[in-house]
Amino acid sequence: MNIPPGWAWLGQALLIIAGIILVIWLCRLGERRGTAYLADRPAYLRPLALLGGVLALLSALLPWVTFELNDGVYPELSTLQFFDEPWGVTGFRGFILLLGLASIVLAFVPIPAKRRVYRAIGLALFGITLFNTGFIIYYGGGIGAATAADGVVAFGGLVGLVAAAVVWFAHRSGPLEQVPLWNSKVSRAVAYPVLLLAFIALLLVVAMLLRAGTTADGDSRAYAGPIFLSLLFFISGVILALNGLGFTKWLTDVSDKHRLWSVVVLLGCSIALPFTEAGTDYWMTIAVNIGVYAATAIGLNIVVGLAGLLDLGYIAFLGIGAYVAANFSEASAAAFGIKLPFLAAAIVAAVVAGVFGAIVGSPTLRVRGDYLAIVTLAFGEIFRKAAQNDIGGLTGGANAIPDIPPISAFGQSFSAPLEIGGVKLPSGVLYYILVVVLVAVVMLVFANLKDSRIGRAWIAIREDEDAARAMGIKTGQAKILAFLIGATLAGLAGAVFAHKTSTVAYDSFQFIESVTLLAAVILGGMASIPGAVLGSALLIVLPEKLRDFQDLRLFLFGLALVLIMRFRPQGLIPDRHRRAELADEGVVEAPSQEHNVADSTPGGGAAVTR
Amino acid sequence: MTGTPVLAARDVSMVFGGLTALSEVNLTLDEGQILGLIGPNGAGKTTFFNCLTGLYTPTRGTVTLRGTRLPSDPAAVTVAGVARTFQNIRLFPSMTALENVVVGRHSRMKQGPLASLFHGPAYRRGEQAARDRSLELLEFVGLGRVHDELSRNLPYGDQRRLEIARALATDPSVLLLDEPTAGMNPQETEATRQLIFAIRETGVAVVVIEHDTKFIFSLCDHVSVLVQGKLLVEGTPDVVRGDPRVIEAYLGKPPDEVEAEVRHYADETADHTQVIELDGGSEGDKR
Ligand SMILES: Nc1ncnc2c1ncn2[C@@H]1O[C@H](COP(=O)(O)OP(=O)(O)O)[C@@H](O)[C@H]1O
Ligand SMILES: [Mg+2]
Repeated sequence: MNIPPGWAWLGQALLIIAGIILVIWLCRLGERRGTAYLADRPAYLRPLALLGGVLALLSALLPWVTFELNDGVYPELSTLQFFDEPWGVTGFRGFILLLGLASIVLAFVPIPAKRRVYRAIGLALFGITLFNTGFIIYYGGGIGAATAADGVVAFGGLVGLVAAAVVWFAHRSGPLEQVPLWNSKVSRAVAYPVLLLAFIALLLVVAMLLRAGTTADGDSRAYAGPIFLSLLFFISGVILALNGLGFTKWLTDVSDKHRLWSVVVLLGCSIALPFTEAGTDYWMTIAVNIGVYAATAIGLNIVVGLAGLLDLGYIAFLGIGAYVAANFSEASAAAFGIKLPFLAAAIVAAVVAGVFGAIVGSPTLRVRGDYLAIVTLAFGEIFRKAAQNDIGGLTGGANAIPDIPPISAFGQSFSAPLEIGGVKLPSGVLYYILVVVLVAVVMLVFANLKDSRIGRAWIAIREDEDAARAMGIKTGQAKILAFLIGATLAGLAGAVFAHKTSTVAYDSFQFIESVTLLAAVILGGMASIPGAVLGSALLIVLPEKLRDFQDLRLFLFGLALVLIMRFRPQGLIPDRHRRAELADEGVVEAPSQEHNVADSTPGGGAAVTR
Repeated sequence: MTGTPVLAARDVSMVFGGLTALSEVNLTLDEGQILGLIGPNGAGKTTFFNCLTGLYTPTRGTVTLRGTRLPSDPAAVTVAGVARTFQNIRLFPSMTALENVVVGRHSRMKQGPLASLFHGPAYRRGEQAARDRSLELLEFVGLGRVHDELSRNLPYGDQRRLEIARALATDPSVLLLDEPTAGMNPQETEATRQLIFAIRETGVAVVVIEHDTKFIFSLCDHVSVLVQGKLLVEGTPDVVRGDPRVIEAYLGKPPDEVEAEVRHYADETADHTQVIELDGGSEGDKR
């Protein structure tokens, strides 16, 4: 019989999906049964925690793979036979060892909110073991790679999964505690050093994450993806545990109370990144990209997060800013022969982008919701097509505008390496510092506007447009202003982008880029500044790190987004308001998006309502 | 009282497609007056409010505030001095009670985009003044102690009162209340009655829509009865209460049965309204 190849593939895919659904269903069933059984047995906490910890240690010391994978040994020391060298385990098995030890030690230490900590440990263990076992099976070409084959057994992964489940169930024994509330009214003598240490720790973690699994040039080592993700799971687990202990809440409260110091330290730490292990040319470029993205995402956050207007063509404003800056840079393909100093060019770029923002925003007077999304989508496409066809000779069309000279100031080109007092800094470090300043400015604009008359008007419009109008808010003006300011910030970021990449081409501004920006905003947490930065960072770093998964890369990426949105609909670092709105329900509540096909001004015109 | 009325509606008609929701409704509100607007469900009361506040543009007719014609733009109407509450509570749910009221100060604050951006001393003074005034209003309606709660977490009766505080924050000359006691228990209803008297004392004229006829008759100086979009009767509570057409049309019962029925009807509609509110939708008030 002749089966077309597509069908076989489809069958396989369906089988895999069915298998995944079955496994998820079984897990949920087990989880529910276990939870019901343990709900009134708080005394099981310690034995389960101990058992889980011991199993985790065991799993870290057992072999994980039955033969050497194609690209070399993975995990490192995988041939280590049973306890030969317990302290020699590195990489993800090192993390499992640490988590197991933590589980055992904490069983005897009196700490508040213990169950929340065990939940974090369980989740981290689960993430690390599931991912690595899955990777070995996928990469090794079958279940045999991670169980037993050719007379070799490797049950590390399986034992690790059991350990994760046991620790998870430890947290299910009895009711989950309240997150403890620590007194955040501390003196400066405590607050300042604590904040300093916290931000330095953050800096080191960021540097470590950036470098995980890569060489200095940013080339992936073999297994870069799993190495990076294992570290990410471990760090997420630690942060989750600190969250459960009420530490992160305390820290944010303290930093809220000492805002100036926090800002200074944060700026200092950001500028210190080039001096860490991430201080290489390659990672400076990535960091600049993250910064440009983050600045744009914060601009978009004004439109989407504050005013609640969906914009699907936002990348166009970055593009407009970039083209304007390119045209004033004296690149050979530039339309104008004049060269403006960077600052002037950036301001022109911002203004032009802002004007376009106001133009695109003007339909918001007439259309709402889904219709607005379509208008903005269309604008994004019109911009891209116009750029592709070199409208007005301003974009270079398919040839782009290449060879844009780097920014230079005081005789120092921003793209050249820098030497200060004998310390050699990677090239691009000046761009990095420029981007830190850019993001700081954009953050300041966002924070100040949010906490002002216009910011409140935006939030009111987001929550209930008619009620906002009844409060005397001129919603049309306010919405156009949101678009205008958002686009201005994107235009500013675009100017930096143009010089840094040195080529501005129309295909940098595709629809998918707008979607990615929107994803960064939603993932990080609507209307939240740190959220937008974290979201942008993840969306840029993850694809870099997942390169060696090739075809699976987008799948994993999408899966991560779906999981985050399922378990944390308010975003990773939610805004205070949003946190309150979504956290206690755990479900997405569409804010004032009820659909009602009624005309807002009957007899008055053809307004399209949500 | 003599002189120009604060608010005057002349021959206001509103037609939706084929449905005539309002037909040539007249209304005159004098300084310091509390005017009650009653009528069965679907009579067009909320629609009338929407026409007064510019949310709807009346098909025919004019609305004037102290002799000047009101535009058909809700924001401009509010700035001119007409504030309202909604039948189905429409607060900004993720803002605190205080922030809700501060939004009400929006049109009375002078703070341009630049001040919003740079947070200079003028900005800080303006913000402080708005906060102070808002706190004062929250105290006035009896919500001072919960100013820091998210409005969505407030009990139902408090939400209604918060909406009144938010409307008062716009410094109105006329306050339109759409069923302010719907879903309230007798104590809360009484408190609301006292609150409306207190609002009148501050020099604000009030129009109240209510189903609870007992509430209306004990509160208002003047009552208008709307039935199927037409003004049926108007006059002092005593006149309206005794008018056989009102009893016939509004209650469908002879006078001696009215008192008992009124209570029953009011309770029933109050419950009914609450259920609708909780479901998040309602007729009349379009979202
Ligand atoms: N936007 C609208 N479109 C169509 N019909 C409407 C609209 N608003 C109100 N109506 C209709 O007008 C009539 C009066 O409604 P409403 O003013 O809500 O009555 P009330 O507030 O007195 O209970 C109802 O029949 C209602 O369905
Ligand atoms: Mg009504």
